Amino acid sequence: MIELKYSKILQENKKLGNNLTSSSYAVRVSSNIIVHQIKEILEYLLRAEGINANVAFGDYDNIVQDSQRYKDANTVIIFWELCNIIDGLQYKIELLNDDERDKILEKIKTEINLVLKNLEKASLGLINKFTSLAFSYSSMRKNCLDELASQLNNYLEENIPSSVKLVDLEKVIANVGVSNSLDLRYYYSSKALYTIDFFKFYAEYVKPFIMSANGKAKKALIFDCDNTLWKGILGEDGFDNIEMSASTKDGAIFAEIQSMTLSLNGQGILIGLCSKNNPGDVDEVLASHPDMQLRNEHITINKSNWSNKVTNLKKIAKELNIGLDSLVFVDDSSFEVNLIKEHLPEVTVLQVPKRLYKYPNMLRENLGHFYNLSFTSEDRKKIEMYKQQVKRETVKKEFTDIEDYLSSLDLKMTIFENEKSIIPRMSQMSQKTNQFNLTTKRYTESDIRKFIDNPNSDVYAFSLADKLGDSGVTGLSIVTTNGSTGTAEIDTLLVSCRVIGRKIEYAFLDYVLRKTKEIGIDEIKAKYITTRKNEQVKEFYDKYSFELINESDTLRNYTLDLSQYDANRIDYIEVVNGK
Amino acid sequence: MANKVAERIKIVMSAVFEIPVKQIKDDSSPDTIDTWDSLKHMNMVVALEEEFQIEFTDDEINKMLNYSSIKNNTSGKI
Repeated sequence: MIELKYSKILQENKKLGNNLTSSSYAVRVSSNIIVHQIKEILEYLLRAEGINANVAFGDYDNIVQDSQRYKDANTVIIFWELCNIIDGLQYKIELLNDDERDKILEKIKTEINLVLKNLEKASLGLINKFTSLAFSYSSMRKNCLDELASQLNNYLEENIPSSVKLVDLEKVIANVGVSNSLDLRYYYSSKALYTIDFFKFYAEYVKPFIMSANGKAKKALIFDCDNTLWKGILGEDGFDNIEMSASTKDGAIFAEIQSMTLSLNGQGILIGLCSKNNPGDVDEVLASHPDMQLRNEHITINKSNWSNKVTNLKKIAKELNIGLDSLVFVDDSSFEVNLIKEHLPEVTVLQVPKRLYKYPNMLRENLGHFYNLSFTSEDRKKIEMYKQQVKRETVKKEFTDIEDYLSSLDLKMTIFENEKSIIPRMSQMSQKTNQFNLTTKRYTESDIRKFIDNPNSDVYAFSLADKLGDSGVTGLSIVTTNGSTGTAEIDTLLVSCRVIGRKIEYAFLDYVLRKTKEIGIDEIKAKYITTRKNEQVKEFYDKYSFELINESDTLRNYTLDLSQYDANRIDYIEVVNGK
Repeated sequence: MANKVAERIKIVMSAVFEIPVKQIKDDSSPDTIDTWDSLKHMNMVVALEEEFQIEFTDDEINKMLNYSSIKNNTSGKI
């Protein structure tokens, strides 16, 4: 939870706002009560992560019309307060007859339909689940208010589109406590219900949704070993005396940590080790310790050695080809924790609590870092692919000629054009790919669908297989065309970092350009938009013989005459059409 | 002690109303500070309550409409 006081948040938020130069990220809040204090708190949390958030509010008690107006916002938050659906519902409802109650229920359902329909087209919609807790927390039986809340929540859950997520307000209230969440002074005088503490928790709770929509979800969880994955020090206590058995007091805690880690791994989170130990000793535990749940097959990368952990974490990020800010690192030692915080501030560092029983819930509280808006089957496959990536790095060293090596992989690229079945994956790539991403535009599933449905735009994606395995769908390009002028523009070109370095990006762009040429386009424009992470593709279009028209610190504009262009013909990649 | 409290009140007001500390005088009120509207008033009240771990009543909140009154009401509770 945010430790800063509200007045300090106001100051810090203003400072962050003055320093951020990235484009504004619009969060629009629509509500039927006064919730204005969420503005600076949510802005502060997001700005601290480099998202230049700008929170603004709709008209008071005008949720349906607001949702209509807010289609272009980056995130829309709906704060629908049950007790203010009609003024004083909390005391009026018990005196209504069934007919009158049904009318209220039907009216709100109709409004929910309209709001969900509008939000379906928004990039990300967040709706609070209805709660009666504020006025029924002490009720001994399910009262009319509780009943109405569950009916509305069921209705929401049945009708929610994939672009909208439900926010469980009762979990937020449970964290803060009912009495610390509510400020009834202002409810009766000004229709404001919640306290600053409530808003601090609320903002923390919704932050992972917005982080994920901005491609900032964490990708890998890296553990120290001694007193982090097991109790004891392997090098001193020995193989037989480290503890992680569910049947001993301290062991049970580490067993729980390992189980949680396995479950994360199953959701596509990469697991790694970064530990000061003899590598052979750790390998032996992974291979044959009877109480160990994490095995070699779950560990994507293992840096158990005597190098310092700053070097090792840098290597881990490099070998997995992900940013340091995609890593979460867990260690028990204050020395190591502070070392990493100081030298690698991008890495999220968690310290094993001194009171060991707090460790599992500490980890649970941090699972939001890994929250992924669009969880797809690719995520499970991904683990395997990262492992192959590490293996390929090893194979690579044995070949002196890179072309020989690439030929030996038997690369096969399958291209999909305007393929609707992979929309979730395409949206996810646009949200998560940072390094090989020329324009870094983030698109939700409904955004991608619009491009596919529009006759003036084409969406291309590819999957890549080689003899070591199938990488799944790993690249995306969106081209918008203007038939009357015979021009087109590459709106998006991205390739997942786990397949770059094999020139597949050239083969992919070749295909996209050939297709664009075939529909009668003579000239294609392209852009490189600078971000903190995509330096490596700054000169991609130059290498591809696009002509640089102009450039600034943040943008490079290119054009290519398609009638003159000659394909790169990467002959060691077999390209096939997926459909 | 008293001065320290006065200083902390001014820092809170400065953060809430987005004005420099030295612009806050004894007679500063919604008439002299443009940004002091009813929502900002609410923000100031909860920020002061959090800062000093105190709670104001409705009546006090309604009277805290200039710096002197804010200082008196706050100091009286610490």
